[in-house]
Amino acid sequence: MPLSLNPRLTRRTLLRRLSLAGAAAVAGPGLLAACRGGGPSRESLVISNWPLYIDPSQDGVPGTVERFTAQTGIPVTYNEDHNDNDAFFAKIQPELAAGKTIPQNLFVTTYWMAQRLIDLGWVEALPFDAVPNAANLIPSLRKPSWDPTGRFSLPWQSGIAGIAYNAEVTGRDLNSMDDLFDPAFKGKVGFLTEMRDTIGLLMLADGKDPSRPTFAAAEPSFDRLEQAKQDGQIRAFTGNDYQDDLLAGNFAACVAWSGDVAQLAIEQPKLRFVVPESGGMLFTDVMVMPKGSASRAAVAAWMNFVYTPAEAARIAAAVQYITPVQGVQELLAKDPATKALAANPLNFPDAALEARLQIFGPLDPKEETRFNERFATITSG
Amino acid sequence: MNASPRSPAAEARPRWPWGLLAPGLLWLLLWFVWPLAALLPMSLSEPRDRFSLAVAFTGRLANYGEVIQQYAPTLLRSLQMAGLATLIALLIAYPLACWISFRGGRFKGMLLGLVVVPFFTSYLVRTIAWTTLLADQGPVLAVLRALGLAGGLESIGVLSDGRLLNTAAAVVIGLAYNMLPYLVLPLVVSLESIDSQLLEAAADLLAGGFGTFSRVIWPLSLPGLTAGVVLSLIPGMGDVVNPQFLGGPNDRMIGNAIQNLVLVQRQVPKAAALALLLMTLMTMAVLAQVRRHGSRELTAS
Amino acid sequence: MSRIGARLLTLWAAVAYGLLFAPIMVIVLFSFNLPTGRFNLIWKGFTLENWRHPFQDTALTDAFLASLALALGASLIATLLGGLLAIGLSRHRGRGHGAIELLLVLPLTSPEIVLASSLLNLFVLLNLPRGFGSLLIAHSLFCLSFAALTLKARLGGVDWSLEAAASDLGASPLRTFAHITLPLLAPGLLAAFLLSFSLSLDDYIISAFNAGQVILFPLYIAGAFQREISPQIHVMATMVLLASVGLLGLGLGSQRGTGRG
Repeated sequence: MPLSLNPRLTRRTLLRRLSLAGAAAVAGPGLLAACRGGGPSRESLVISNWPLYIDPSQDGVPGTVERFTAQTGIPVTYNEDHNDNDAFFAKIQPELAAGKTIPQNLFVTTYWMAQRLIDLGWVEALPFDAVPNAANLIPSLRKPSWDPTGRFSLPWQSGIAGIAYNAEVTGRDLNSMDDLFDPAFKGKVGFLTEMRDTIGLLMLADGKDPSRPTFAAAEPSFDRLEQAKQDGQIRAFTGNDYQDDLLAGNFAACVAWSGDVAQLAIEQPKLRFVVPESGGMLFTDVMVMPKGSASRAAVAAWMNFVYTPAEAARIAAAVQYITPVQGVQELLAKDPATKALAANPLNFPDAALEARLQIFGPLDPKEETRFNERFATITSG
Repeated sequence: MNASPRSPAAEARPRWPWGLLAPGLLWLLLWFVWPLAALLPMSLSEPRDRFSLAVAFTGRLANYGEVIQQYAPTLLRSLQMAGLATLIALLIAYPLACWISFRGGRFKGMLLGLVVVPFFTSYLVRTIAWTTLLADQGPVLAVLRALGLAGGLESIGVLSDGRLLNTAAAVVIGLAYNMLPYLVLPLVVSLESIDSQLLEAAADLLAGGFGTFSRVIWPLSLPGLTAGVVLSLIPGMGDVVNPQFLGGPNDRMIGNAIQNLVLVQRQVPKAAALALLLMTLMTMAVLAQVRRHGSRELTAS
Repeated sequence: MSRIGARLLTLWAAVAYGLLFAPIMVIVLFSFNLPTGRFNLIWKGFTLENWRHPFQDTALTDAFLASLALALGASLIATLLGGLLAIGLSRHRGRGHGAIELLLVLPLTSPEIVLASSLLNLFVLLNLPRGFGSLLIAHSLFCLSFAALTLKARLGGVDWSLEAAASDLGASPLRTFAHITLPLLAPGLLAAFLLSFSLSLDDYIISAFNAGQVILFPLYIAGAFQREISPQIHVMATMVLLASVGLLGLGLGSQRGTGRG
């Protein structure tokens, strides 16, 4: 199956979205939907995901969601309304805490939030019996720290938090967290509001181990961050919105996520991403099924679909993050348009890179509160 | 709708039209007074569990101590920035109000309407437009540089590292902008009520524009001015959008803190304590205004 | 006033109006911006494409429609309740008058963050789910104050004795209402409604706290700000502006010297 990532793809075409509720009509002849019954035709799927985290429909070429509906006949309402873990949690907490159901049948959230939801009992065990392709999950993610039994979550994409910089503005290549504190970049540096990525990277630079985090170990990193903020070194703490600041040159450098920068670099080749010498932070976004979700079969069909190596390859080529599905690298290597992608260690970390990546470890409630409070004081106090 | 009987006794003791007042008053009581009153017990509570917003009343006075200690700098900063913004907005609004009242003539209504029209766009989109205007490569900075003012402004702290965006100055500009209609409208109300004959007499007697201004116009405009300040300052202190979009990490205000406490940290009692502190400030200001000048200018906007 | 003083004042007014409209001009201008790149923050070139396909981004359009629906509902409630309040207040000039006016003013002088968070707390206490219903309540609240006060101002010049005259002449209460009262109130009601509508569309922080899973126009933009700012946002904001200006013009036109605009 030919895969292509058009290098002249503009953001605009990438972002042209079509509403996919009732996508059967759009996705192609209804015949297709009727003939290939994958799941029960009456079920439908409501998915919430991060923005720009899937192969989109553009210029008439169907994306992941449309192809799924065409193949299975299940209509999908795909919402890109997951902008922030805490904000999304605040939205779903009232219903789930009261034992009620939420509109979503499936949503994608970051590993530590998934752990919280698992601990709270608000997500159900995934229907793996109907997802044979789940066997394609790469071994290192099979029983992760946030989901030790591996029954409640299925990874969507992984990524690396590191340093992004605008080579035109910095005038040199950066490779260390210390570069972010370089007075030459005063007022042009950004950090993420994602606490675990920001503090994790700083802890690594400080020689501490973020996979076993304690507030005492993290305190010097917090202090360093606070000092930099007070000195005016930091221009802003951002979520995904570091992207326009990077593009515009408002940031010389910032903490950023690998896939975003890869997507941006298509538009602005001067943008570079680097894993700091002290190490980078690995994160995984996972699919979870909230309690009371009605369409188990549809959810299973979706997960099976996106874990087909061919489909996973399309997603990987579009979002440029680290796919959790085996067999994708080989597929991408075969197509000349994506060969470079297949060879890029940021998308397919080799052993050397993996050794330099850490996942932020779990926090018990008391510690989490201390971390959050201190971070909140620095970022929004 | 009551057609009142025309007996003199009944007219001397007009009946309260409860049928008319009750629905609105009830609505206000339910959704304004009650939530605010509930802030007090809530500020003395503790969160019931880690993630829900429900609280359990425990009479925890320590909330206030902790909150004041932690957020005193933020409160002070909010007051300073909102105060500065009010001052700047007043400098712009006062002459504008004078112009509309005294030179507006037949077009007064339209001119006032024009003051309000810009605020019929979405607050967020307006603020995003300000990020464009104040951007590093944007028009405002370009003009300042062309006029040679950049260096001077940097030294007095208005510009930071040659930037206007993501600085306290940008937040103050944004705040001042949004205060303009709330200042212009009450001022116009006050100025309109100045009898034109009084003005003429003053001009004759005091023989000078400045005299007329300081002896007649200024004092009589004070009710409108203070009403505008009351409508601008405290709400401005609690603003969330301007610091978030136009400010840097050192420019967060008390509104951001409350938002973070509720939506991210799920610490409702502390947020309630902060909110209550803000409300107390506000109520004192409003009462002061009403006692001194009555509520005409406040309500007329 | 001296000549120079008058000229200076006019100049100042011009500058002030320029300042007032600066961001508006940016919004309108950027609705015509070429949509290359993800963020509509840098001028790239002129195009009419955005206006030809204003509803291209369906999520944005849905959010916009939701905001319109909410504004409609909230304004209706606010105008109705506020109207009743204003009529009641303007008929009765007693001692409680001031207290009620003060109560009406307080939501306007309160910081929105306080209104937002206190309402959320109440909803949690009452176990009221956050969604369109809670939004309706929240929006109708701050619109109520504006509507009531606007109407009260308009009703200042109304001559209530007309009603009494009508009933003296034998008209039934219903006829009095339909033929005398309503026409007197109509321009004020319209103004109050339009004002409430704009305020509701504009609100951000109260919605941010109480929307639950409902996505309104400002909430969509706040989320969108992180990943993209499509020109359609500017197009819609301009549409709202034009509609408001048009309606304002209508409202002003139908006025007959009851004071300020």
